[in-house]
Amino acid sequence: MKDIIHVLRLIWRAQRSALLRGTALAVTVVAAGVALLGLSGWFITAAGAAGLAGVGIAFNVFQPSAAVRFLALGRTAARYGERLLTHDATLKSLTDIRVGLLRGVLALPFDRLARLRGAETMNRLVADVDALDGIALRLFIPAVSAGVVYLGAFAILAWLTTPLLAAWIVLSLSAGVGVVLVWMARHALAPSRRAEKALQAFRIRLIDMLRARDDLVVYGRLPDQSAAVTAAETRMRENLEGTDRLERRAGLALSLTTTLSAGTALWLGGALAARGTITPAQAALGFFATLALAETVQPLRRGLADLGRMLDAARRVRKLLPLNGTDPVPAQAAGPAPQAQSPALEISGVSYRHPGAEEPVIEGFTLSIAPGECVALTGASGSGKSTVLALAAGLVTPEAGHILLAGRPLDSLPESDLRAELTYLPQRSVLLGQSFYEILALAEPRLDEADALAVLEAVALSSTVAGRGGLHARLSENGAGLSGGEQRRLTLARALLRAPRLLLLDEPTEGLDRPTAIRVLAGIRDHLPNAAILTASHRQAERDWAGRLIRM
Amino acid sequence: MHAGRAGHREQEKTGQGLGRKRAKNDDPAARRLAQMTAPVMRTLERAGAVAATSSLLWLVQAGAVAMAIGQMLEPDRLPGHPALYALVFIAVGVLRAALDNKVGEMTFHAADTVLTLERARLITREARRATDDPARPPAAKTATLAAEKLAALTPFLTRYFPARRRALVVPLVILAVSFWISWAVGLVLLVAGPLIPVFMALVGIAAKQASERQMEELSNMNVLLLERLTALVDIRLLDASERTTQSFRGSADRLRKRTMEVLRIAFLSSTVLELFAALGVAMVAVYVGFSLLGELEFGAWATPLTVSEGVFLLLLAPDYFQPLRDLSAAWHDKADASAVARELAELESRQETTFLGLGANAAPLETRAPLLARGLAYRPPSGRLIRFPDFDLAPGETLAITGPSGVGKSSLLKLIAGMAVPTEGEVRLGDLVLDAENADAWRARLGWLPQQPRFVSGSLRHNLALALRPGRELPLDAALKLAAADGVVATLPRGLNTRLGETGMGVSGGEARRLIVARAAHAHPKLLLADEPTADLDEETAALVTDGLLSLVAGGAALIVATHDPTLAAKMDRQIAITRAEEAA
Repeated sequence: MKDIIHVLRLIWRAQRSALLRGTALAVTVVAAGVALLGLSGWFITAAGAAGLAGVGIAFNVFQPSAAVRFLALGRTAARYGERLLTHDATLKSLTDIRVGLLRGVLALPFDRLARLRGAETMNRLVADVDALDGIALRLFIPAVSAGVVYLGAFAILAWLTTPLLAAWIVLSLSAGVGVVLVWMARHALAPSRRAEKALQAFRIRLIDMLRARDDLVVYGRLPDQSAAVTAAETRMRENLEGTDRLERRAGLALSLTTTLSAGTALWLGGALAARGTITPAQAALGFFATLALAETVQPLRRGLADLGRMLDAARRVRKLLPLNGTDPVPAQAAGPAPQAQSPALEISGVSYRHPGAEEPVIEGFTLSIAPGECVALTGASGSGKSTVLALAAGLVTPEAGHILLAGRPLDSLPESDLRAELTYLPQRSVLLGQSFYEILALAEPRLDEADALAVLEAVALSSTVAGRGGLHARLSENGAGLSGGEQRRLTLARALLRAPRLLLLDEPTEGLDRPTAIRVLAGIRDHLPNAAILTASHRQAERDWAGRLIRM
Repeated sequence: MHAGRAGHREQEKTGQGLGRKRAKNDDPAARRLAQMTAPVMRTLERAGAVAATSSLLWLVQAGAVAMAIGQMLEPDRLPGHPALYALVFIAVGVLRAALDNKVGEMTFHAADTVLTLERARLITREARRATDDPARPPAAKTATLAAEKLAALTPFLTRYFPARRRALVVPLVILAVSFWISWAVGLVLLVAGPLIPVFMALVGIAAKQASERQMEELSNMNVLLLERLTALVDIRLLDASERTTQSFRGSADRLRKRTMEVLRIAFLSSTVLELFAALGVAMVAVYVGFSLLGELEFGAWATPLTVSEGVFLLLLAPDYFQPLRDLSAAWHDKADASAVARELAELESRQETTFLGLGANAAPLETRAPLLARGLAYRPPSGRLIRFPDFDLAPGETLAITGPSGVGKSSLLKLIAGMAVPTEGEVRLGDLVLDAENADAWRARLGWLPQQPRFVSGSLRHNLALALRPGRELPLDAALKLAAADGVVATLPRGLNTRLGETGMGVSGGEARRLIVARAAHAHPKLLLADEPTADLDEETAALVTDGLLSLVAGGAALIVATHDPTLAAKMDRQIAITRAEEAA
């Protein structure tokens, strides 16, 4: 529940004035509805009574009928305004939350980032955030307006009829409705929560099935995975049915409550009228007001049916949101200026061990690279080549030792300065964008076409790009139509576009045939003649290219 | 080469064609909706009848209230007692609540049935579509369609049909009853009523377009988002976090605006309808009020109107408009459903592609016959024809397929695995031709090393066991050792219970590949198809993996590698080179 309140506060804070006005209008709508029905019933009955008594001429019809028209039109307008305001404000807040979540995800430490699964994270940003829209729209605002109107209705009915009738109407309705809502909040929690979980499992398994389709077919696992998808779907359906059944039962109970309340109000009014305590017109007022009050609980019913789903979503969303909520990260102060005469990268006495590992991967490692120099790290898998690159790129923090970038301690640089200073190309990268141009523009938003073509020429991709219809030709999801070697060269081109002082490359020419690899390596040097380059290499072509080899 | 572009062009064409098609009567979306609801139409019609009955019972309740109030005013003239009428009101109310509950149950089950059928249809088709088919939507798009968009059919299925039936029956009955009591009230209703459907039709057109735009924006956002979420590390490394966040805000904002467009139309139309209804009711109330006061002496058959008749008419008037308003709300649900139906129809209009067999577990073909490729040629979906040289491969033999990137090495492996259907020629084991009937048993002999390692959700152990078939396996320890992957597992924080990222994030590229080799070895295949098995591996590890593959060969397996690693190619018994068609010509 704390999470829901936290999220409500987030939604509320961003759009306070719109939501306040929306809530005020919501109260107006409900109150006008009650007044309208009550007044109409009273008006007709009173007019009938006056007609019967033969004093029709004396009866002032204009005030009540004007009030009826005013209430009818006013309620319509208020309802339109309320819906527009609250929905727009909620959707705006939810967009902020979504963006805040992406920001939060992007700020996670690199090792957690690498282990995230796209489909699951997407559930957080899409489905979970969608689930939150009801917190304000279907829980908070209807609850507030119902509460306000119930209290107001009691006061006014007590004044216009008798306290007994007023108390009976408001108490019988609120007791009945209260019992139903509490029962529902308690029982709807589990199935709606399970339905949401099943929906997310369904989505993850389906995406798995579609993406790993070929592997699953060859290994004869397609029906199994398909069965797993169906199992999640079945679970989802069962629980949705459970939620629906509960909602229907609650609806039934609410209908019975309102029928009983209105019926007994009619009976009580009749009895009081027969005794002469109130007029028949006042009895009609009570009955019609009851009918209108009953309508206030319908939106709450939907909100409560979804409570479990909202609770879970709010909990997960809150966990991922950055501490400062949905606000943008404040710009960091600039770090110290680079010193031109210092080495581009200086690593001294650095040790590192993987989390939970006993033996360090590297110990007392020292290395210095001058601008324009090219150094290759060699050695078997697991000897720590990639670890050195990750340390130099600031992805992980050393246990001991110092890393200096152009004379400045690495940890003194804000993230954006660090990324401008160096570019790290990991062994595996994902392409992002729907054309060659978009893929490259991730590295450089102000990319012009000439630069793009130049860098593509450097990685020997010009003819491939021309063959596929040029820079802006559309490519399939994450460049899936490109061969492994072409993808590798594109990621390399993307890294070159950053034009860093220090380039960290993890096996840059993997997947390329030897002549292409030699061309690409020469292209890298030509493109960035002054950059210091550190590679993790096992290929002969890369070793021949480097000016200095360091065996790990 | 041009596969991607041609496919997109086709898509654009159909996208533009929609506008014209909509004008015609045979709207594909309408046809698809009708096809969708056909299996549950009888249930929905029955639910509509029950809903209409329940609505008509309000006449009885209104009558009871009218009599009760009339009785209070004229206790001597009217029979009965207010308490009795209150009892009737309650009893009929209980019956109505029960009927409405029944309607909810019937329509929910109908919707559930339709959704299940449609999901199964969609998933079966998209799971079979060839992975090199450019018409294949991104996984996120299909998942969005199956998970969220299809669910948007539920409001339509549960609300539209009962609302339609009620709108057809209830206003007519109330109109007749009103005319019977007072022709003036009947006339007011008769004039005000038809305005609602007319207005509804106007709004409906706008609503439909807005709803389609919203649905499109939803899948755009999801596709972009999933793409970005799989590239988080790269985004961070390229210092593109803030830009990515901003462009995501852009697409989230667009979705919000589209959603608000839909909502605004829905709110506006319901407001206008409420206005019509309010005016109609107000006119009835004014007429009834003045009649009761004796100031109006026309309009009723037997003037003056009694109090009971007046209250009765007043109670009926809102319920004359309510079914029409419900129908107009359901009209928006129908617009949403049409947008989904249109997307389904569009997806189904694309040519279907498939692989051979079912992709199911089967007993492996037991034969020692050699693998033969004869006259093979393959045209990837909307791509160029690739011709492959013939070759034979006996058990225990090894073959390297070489050639420049993108020439079709992977396609040949797919043909041999029955993952693609050859345009010409055939693949055989001795005399047995690979076809749809024997494809599963054929593949049960295979080991498969894809170019891009992928891991499904679940532990590493689960992923390694994916390749297992009953009766054939190499112990996991041995398989890991053979692939030089035992060291990889040892460095993982939770060993075999570690959950890896989708493309193996959490281990290095070389480590992921070794794990995939171990997975293939675990199943002890008779023919191993390996697409670039030494990519991402340093020379020492590459040598270890190659040795592992060759020791599988020593155990009697045949091996085909697609590679441009000359060291690996040299270790194979034979090499065949694939050249580009234009170079060959």
